[in-house]
Amino acid sequence: MTGISELFSGFRASSSGTTAERARMDIITTNLANAQTTRMPGGGKPRPYQRQQVSFEPILRRMANGEDTIEGVRISAIEPDNVTPFEEIYDPGHPDADPTTGIVRMPNVNATKEMADLITSVRAYEANIKAQENFIRMAETALRLAQ
Amino acid sequence: MDITGDSGRLLSKLMSAASRRADVIANNIANQSTPGFKRGTLAFEELLASEMKRGGADLLSILPERQTDFITASKANGNNVQMELEVNAMNENRLLYETYAAIMAGRMELVRASIDERG
Repeated sequence: MTGISELFSGFRASSSGTTAERARMDIITTNLANAQTTRMPGGGKPRPYQRQQVSFEPILRRMANGEDTIEGVRISAIEPDNVTPFEEIYDPGHPDADPTTGIVRMPNVNATKEMADLITSVRAYEANIKAQENFIRMAETALRLAQ
Repeated sequence: MDITGDSGRLLSKLMSAASRRADVIANNIANQSTPGFKRGTLAFEELLASEMKRGGADLLSILPERQTDFITASKANGNNVQMELEVNAMNENRLLYETYAAIMAGRMELVRASIDERG
């Protein structure tokens, strides 16, 4: 553990955590906002909004001894959820209803699930902030030694 | 001239181990939602204790060791970070760090008093 870059590696890890969680929250709120969107841009047959999901991956850093260590987290991909089916409701008066069957395809967003994910993400964000505060206090302790 | 002595050097190694442990814990917290991630730990005090129990004299040559915890049970996504555990470890680690720093400050005060004739 040499070099000034080592000094703040934990601090960087928790700041990468807040960035990743913030991005996850953005995606969740986009899902919630579009929970009733039945026509995505692009024309043709009305296509409902497809919920997006994020996946995380660790950031690897090559050490001086050739080993990789994990230093923080980042978003590896934001992908549409192709597994959860669209909800279909019968509403012939709806502008985006199928003209023959009267079925409207609704987005595959489940508000309860999104809210649960949002709470998890907010808690994780707060925990990363707590870790940052922890580093600041430790640095203050070390600085007091120099007085 | 050496005014800190072996125990002073050991103290500073303990402090730097605690600071590295804070890095490892911050990493665990940042990766609490990463699939397949296993929590890391940093062993140092344990290694010192077992060396002392063994009767080994060369405590200064022991280095902190970053370990991966494969034992703690994983969630469905293969991740075994538990938030409460990490926050506890973080607080405990900071208290350790502050304890080491307080002992260090006390020693430095002694040295300062002996340099300053007004004491």
